[in-house]
Amino acid sequence: MRQRDRIYTTRRWWLVLVLLVTPASVAQDLARFEARLTEFTLDNGLKFLVLERHEAPVVTCYTHANVGAVDEGKGITGLAHIFEHMAFKGTKTIGTNDYEAEAKIMAQMDETFDAIEAEREKVGGPDPQRLAELRERFDALQQAQQQYLVHDEFDEILKRAGGVGLNAGTGADYTVYFVNLPSNKLELWMLLESDRFLNPVLREFYKEKNVVMEERRLRTETQPTGKLLEDFLATAYKAHPYGRPVIGFMSDLESISRPQARAFFEKYYRPSNLTVAIVGDVDPAEVRGLAQQYFARIPSGPEPEPVVTVEPPQWGPRRVVIEDPAQPFVLLGYHKPNTNHPDNAVFDALSDIVGQGRTSRLYRSLVRDKKVAVAASGFQGLPGDKYPGLFLFYAVPARGHTNAECEQALQAEIERLKREPVTPEELAKAKTRARASLVRQLDSNSGLASQLTFYEVLTGDWRNLFRQLDRIDKVTAEDIQRVANRYFTTSNQTVGVIETTTGDDSAAEGSRT
Amino acid sequence: MRHARQISMALLCGVMLATWTGVPAGAGARAASYKQLQYPPLHEVVVPDVQRVTLPNGMRLFVLEDHELPLINMSARIRVGSIYEPADKVGLADITGEVMRTGGTTSRTGDELDQQLEQIAASVETGIGLNSGYASVSVLKDDIDTGLSILADVLMHPAFRADKIELAKVQQRSSISRRNDEPGEIAAREFGSLIYGPDSVYARTTEYATIDNITRDDLVAFHQRYYGPNNMMLAVWGDFDAAQMIAKIEQAFAGWEKTDIEPAPAPQVEYDWPATVNLVARADLNQSNIYVGHIGGLRSDPDYFALTVMNEILGGSFTGRLFKNVRSRQGLAYSVGGTYSSGLDHRGVFRMGCQTKAGSTVHAIQAMIDEARRMTTDEVTDEELKLAKESYLNSFVFNFDSTSEVITRLMTYEYFGYPEDFLQQTRAGVEKVTKADVLRAAREHLRPDKMQILVVGQPDAFDEPLSTLGSVNTIDITIPTPGQ
Repeated sequence: MRQRDRIYTTRRWWLVLVLLVTPASVAQDLARFEARLTEFTLDNGLKFLVLERHEAPVVTCYTHANVGAVDEGKGITGLAHIFEHMAFKGTKTIGTNDYEAEAKIMAQMDETFDAIEAEREKVGGPDPQRLAELRERFDALQQAQQQYLVHDEFDEILKRAGGVGLNAGTGADYTVYFVNLPSNKLELWMLLESDRFLNPVLREFYKEKNVVMEERRLRTETQPTGKLLEDFLATAYKAHPYGRPVIGFMSDLESISRPQARAFFEKYYRPSNLTVAIVGDVDPAEVRGLAQQYFARIPSGPEPEPVVTVEPPQWGPRRVVIEDPAQPFVLLGYHKPNTNHPDNAVFDALSDIVGQGRTSRLYRSLVRDKKVAVAASGFQGLPGDKYPGLFLFYAVPARGHTNAECEQALQAEIERLKREPVTPEELAKAKTRARASLVRQLDSNSGLASQLTFYEVLTGDWRNLFRQLDRIDKVTAEDIQRVANRYFTTSNQTVGVIETTTGDDSAAEGSRT
Repeated sequence: MRHARQISMALLCGVMLATWTGVPAGAGARAASYKQLQYPPLHEVVVPDVQRVTLPNGMRLFVLEDHELPLINMSARIRVGSIYEPADKVGLADITGEVMRTGGTTSRTGDELDQQLEQIAASVETGIGLNSGYASVSVLKDDIDTGLSILADVLMHPAFRADKIELAKVQQRSSISRRNDEPGEIAAREFGSLIYGPDSVYARTTEYATIDNITRDDLVAFHQRYYGPNNMMLAVWGDFDAAQMIAKIEQAFAGWEKTDIEPAPAPQVEYDWPATVNLVARADLNQSNIYVGHIGGLRSDPDYFALTVMNEILGGSFTGRLFKNVRSRQGLAYSVGGTYSSGLDHRGVFRMGCQTKAGSTVHAIQAMIDEARRMTTDEVTDEELKLAKESYLNSFVFNFDSTSEVITRLMTYEYFGYPEDFLQQTRAGVEKVTKADVLRAAREHLRPDKMQILVVGQPDAFDEPLSTLGSVNTIDITIPTPGQ
């Protein structure tokens, strides 16, 4: 029951960094790594990062599109993610047996869909008979298209070639597409992936929207924590698009049209907005030759503009309550700068000290000693890294304990960070663990591909994957105290809780523990 | 030094073996269609040779050097499991497995171990699952002595300190109180209960009462009974010299007495093929969680290869019939799939499932059952068979792309009594499967008229009453309070 895509919600830095064990050797490691990495940019602006790993005859092919939910305007929330789904529906030659015939039907479907939307929005309400006629026409067209379709051909080609882990994901900042292949199938990927972004056909668009709506029901509407997160972000952000859900609002999903998706593609899927990582048993010269043959044909276009809206300062604490039959949950968030700000490394060290492992402060205090929670942690990376995001603390109350107790206990730990410096042992541990987790990430082609493109696109240079380690190494206890005092203030805070609705026995039995 | 034997992909995958010369594929010319592409031969797959040693105390070792990164990893399997815990103490195995590590050893508290390990970015963890116990070590190579000594200490001398038993119980009780929070979790749990029976070792759940019944003495006795060197396998891989590593391990576990336990084989499953329709009613859900299926099989069944191919065609991720028809063609669900699972030591489950809006619940159930039925009435097409087999064979190389995969697979086969080349046997078996084999296996193992259907959802909003599928049994998921 694998799923088509992941919606990225968190990105913890310790999944990210790489390499050696002693602080002095970062530059050395970087040099060693650079020897195996080849980078080049095609004339149309498309950048490739090629990392050789010859341990097994396999390769990860990974496309990072610098477009995400943050680039959607009002009324089209969810569109970046819908496009990601559409990128599996084929091209002018894949997924169809007669593109010309199919295109005519799709144009008629677009017109009919617009007519349906216009009717639905009519002042005084739609004419039911007219609406029914239009819908009937729409269904007939959808049926007529079927004869020209070759379902799931894109997936089948890669699967037949031995591809595994074919998938994609959409986040607030970016959309990624990836597959692992036997390394002799590299040219197949070059052909398919370049065609995918040269000639995409958004076929069965309206049907796939139903799939996405099911995904929204699955991830958000029937998940207590999904509901909380959606409302929490909408509360923490009043102006910046980070406040809107990646999956999109249901009414937007219903009304988005295929021409809107096409326009979104034209604007954001320019070669200069794409970065490709090829990691595995490959010859960089061969990769370059194939990239030139297949990807150079994609025409360049204007750079899409970044998001200009800046979230205004928060003037006081904000609070969100979700009423649900589920057990309680508490989330605390504070606005913080983006991933390129010097304080980012401080937050990285801080999140290790408060939130990772059994010796972390939140585990010791809330879980082990006070026993008010079964889990508690703190991390950054949500909703995204490109623009100013949030530092989040959360606690899962133990049975019989309340959100209020957990919130208070979290707050006490936050105050302690502001009041006194962390110990040298805590800081040393965070730095050692950063290095070690780097080493542990090094043996995965797909993990490396993801991190290389992340750093390349979001920070401008993949080398920051290594340099980040130096920055963490320079973090002092004073830095952590300063950052805590600067950002973890009441006026910068948003609190979100799931309050259990009564009617079940669990609330009542709480008193017995 | 790395012991390696080269097994060519000609043997493994049925492709030609040749040395890759580095000539660019399709040099100079862009292929207009993927159908025109010619692929160079795949580079050789180096399948490392795992060294097998049995120590004088009976512990079986699997050893593999891998010098790519300065890391050492260990993974143990102990013949124990929740299948051996008494029915009135469900949760005993899980708590024992956890507190072995968190409760520390006779000489060091769990908190001291946490401190020692986290300062060097290492981990030693233990646990007990359904039919095996596990332990793991992950260290930077220079810290192997620390990691190994802690591993040996927690396996041989766990102290089961009371504070950590209490902490584990808090966690257990909280999990119980939260088990109805997510519809997917409810559906998976209740479906298991329908297939195996609520009291089966394969489906029973922890309750407040069973957790309350567990004492420290139970933990001590459970550990004592099952943990001994002759009841354990240990795999170790990473940046070390094999001979030195074996000597280190032997020394670390030298004082450990053999246990005389001969654990009973995993209980087999009785199944009498009921056809049922079941509902967990939840007024707050606009989407139904659906499972449909019946009992599954054993990996040792000769039909396993044909069933592997059948699974690909019926439920194989983005190309199976369920995905195509329920998701791509009808847009009914985001996540849909189905697998006839073949357990290593007890029968698995045949389970198809999806989540769909309340208003298409019955329609989606029927669509999934229709797909299962079609497997039993008609041969699959040539194209489907070809896709399933080529996909299996061409992706076979991914079974060998990491050291940990190779060595832990070998240990798993040994633990469950399968031949060490079972994977290669499967490949050979899959290669021979015909359309007739798939139909015969589907007819033998799938019973579309004997389905158990489970829906977690809001029945008032269904497209049709569930009763159109049969008489509806409503499941009460209220959590029993202590003392009941």
